[in-house]
Amino acid sequence: MDTAFAKRRRRDLIVAAIFAAIAAIVPLFVKDVYVQNIMVLTLMYAALSQSWNILSGYCGQISLGHALYFGLGAYTTALLFTKFGVLPWFGMLGGGLISAVIAMALGYPCFRLRGHYFVIATIVIAETALLLFQNWDWAGAALGIDIPVRGDSWLKFQFVRSKLPYFYFALALACVAWLVTWWLEDSKWGYWWRAVKDNPDAAESLGVVVFNSKMGAAAVSAFLTAIGGSFYAQFVSYIDPESVMGFQFSLLMALPAVLGGIGTLWGPVLGAVILIPLTELTRSFIGGSGRGVDLIVYGTLIVLISLARPEGLVGLFSPRRKEAPR
Amino acid sequence: MTALLETPLLETRGIWQRFGGLVANSDVSISVGRGEIVGLIGPNGAGKSTLFNLIAGVYTPSQGSIILNGEDVTGLSAAERCQRGVGRTFQVVKSFETMTVIDNVIVGALIRTTVMREARRKAHEVLEFCGLAARADTLASQLIPSEKRRLEVARALATEPKLLLLDEVLTGLTPIEAQTGVELVRKVRATGVTVLMVEHVMEIVMPLVDRAIVLDLGKVLVEGKPTDVVRDPKVISAYLGDRHAVGA
Repeated sequence: MDTAFAKRRRRDLIVAAIFAAIAAIVPLFVKDVYVQNIMVLTLMYAALSQSWNILSGYCGQISLGHALYFGLGAYTTALLFTKFGVLPWFGMLGGGLISAVIAMALGYPCFRLRGHYFVIATIVIAETALLLFQNWDWAGAALGIDIPVRGDSWLKFQFVRSKLPYFYFALALACVAWLVTWWLEDSKWGYWWRAVKDNPDAAESLGVVVFNSKMGAAAVSAFLTAIGGSFYAQFVSYIDPESVMGFQFSLLMALPAVLGGIGTLWGPVLGAVILIPLTELTRSFIGGSGRGVDLIVYGTLIVLISLARPEGLVGLFSPRRKEAPR
Repeated sequence: MTALLETPLLETRGIWQRFGGLVANSDVSISVGRGEIVGLIGPNGAGKSTLFNLIAGVYTPSQGSIILNGEDVTGLSAAERCQRGVGRTFQVVKSFETMTVIDNVIVGALIRTTVMREARRKAHEVLEFCGLAARADTLASQLIPSEKRRLEVARALATEPKLLLLDEVLTGLTPIEAQTGVELVRKVRATGVTVLMVEHVMEIVMPLVDRAIVLDLGKVLVEGKPTDVVRDPKVISAYLGDRHAVGA
């Protein structure tokens, strides 16, 4: 029964494994540090967008405040490491858990809001957190935290000589985020989330506890986003509120998914692969004075996409479900 | 065991529902026995939909209680009532539009099992039962209206209800579609599910239901066998109006 469905799931898994394998050998040929840097960022945003997609794509609760969880991940790792010497691996886990708890604490009041009101609440909360961190002296306030180099090893999760380990971690993170989504897609949670997105009243009548579903999506999404933030802190080894909690991160997490296909398995990956290199290249070609040009590029892409392919770029690849004869 | 079987499946005791100054239901006490098909009828604004939503758990009544299977469920949410065996459809269809027909039904089936394979098998079975199997992989948004109505029923059936609440599932269908719908309701009852249906189309409902409850101005006006109810002068004046008295 349902061999077509099982086949599609298996095919997705095989395609993902092939892509991951190809991605893994690319840096063996591409030695250019600048290009490697772009690849790391692309993979990181693929993972972040995939995490964002769980809450906003599958469950339909559009968040434009995910920079909060990204920042919390970055700050938790950096603070634990610089103040208490805690290894970044534990910081990463801690940041993920703190973010998940905060996501649920914020969800408790916010998930009573529907549609645009929810979006506005997420923006306001993330901006408030940004201001708090800018004024929190112990956490470095607006100056931020310089993460000192104390080693060059996987144990310390710091790499000085080569950026390659960061690349492989980012690849692993993207794979994990994809796999979590793949697994959730065919689970009770995945079905509940899509039902909640499409019609909460009908979902409730079928026994779906709408509020709990949203809370679950928020927790998973925030946890994975924070892991991305922790990674970023180690990768750039210097963080300040604006550079890890700024509104642009919220956008950069949402845009790849929107471009590629919101609420789809492949959308975030596809979107990130197109969008992130494009951003980085525009930035470096146009130079420092061109700040904002990347945003013009986004805007144009989004307008084109919403006009031509509202379901996202994945619509170009997967043939539409075939129409059964009436 | 026998005592449980003798108690009605559903009972509302002295239900009052007020929306601000409007009294939508006043002192409504009805009961629905196991295996019955009961029709809830009445003119527009009689309070049918309100009562229906109170039973489904969308609202909590201002006063009174709702007893399901001997248990007081008045304070329970719609999801908790579904867990206890209440399935419903919506007057204005509420399909999960971006999901396929089979996925719509799986959502319902997942309340009884968390094993996906099992939920999918159950969903297929229900689609077969409702005559929608050929449309399993179609997006719900691409269904025609009568199919959407059937999908609503299929989704509710997948939750394995004891009591199925049908909110105007036959309204607005062509006579042939409506007839198919009637047969589906009979088939559902034959599987042991109790049906409470709100309906407007008298010609179709009356031969289908075992018992009719007529609401008017928020109160129970008459209840009884459909053939008796349609002849009742109170019903004729309140619901059908004098012009239609002969045709009914």
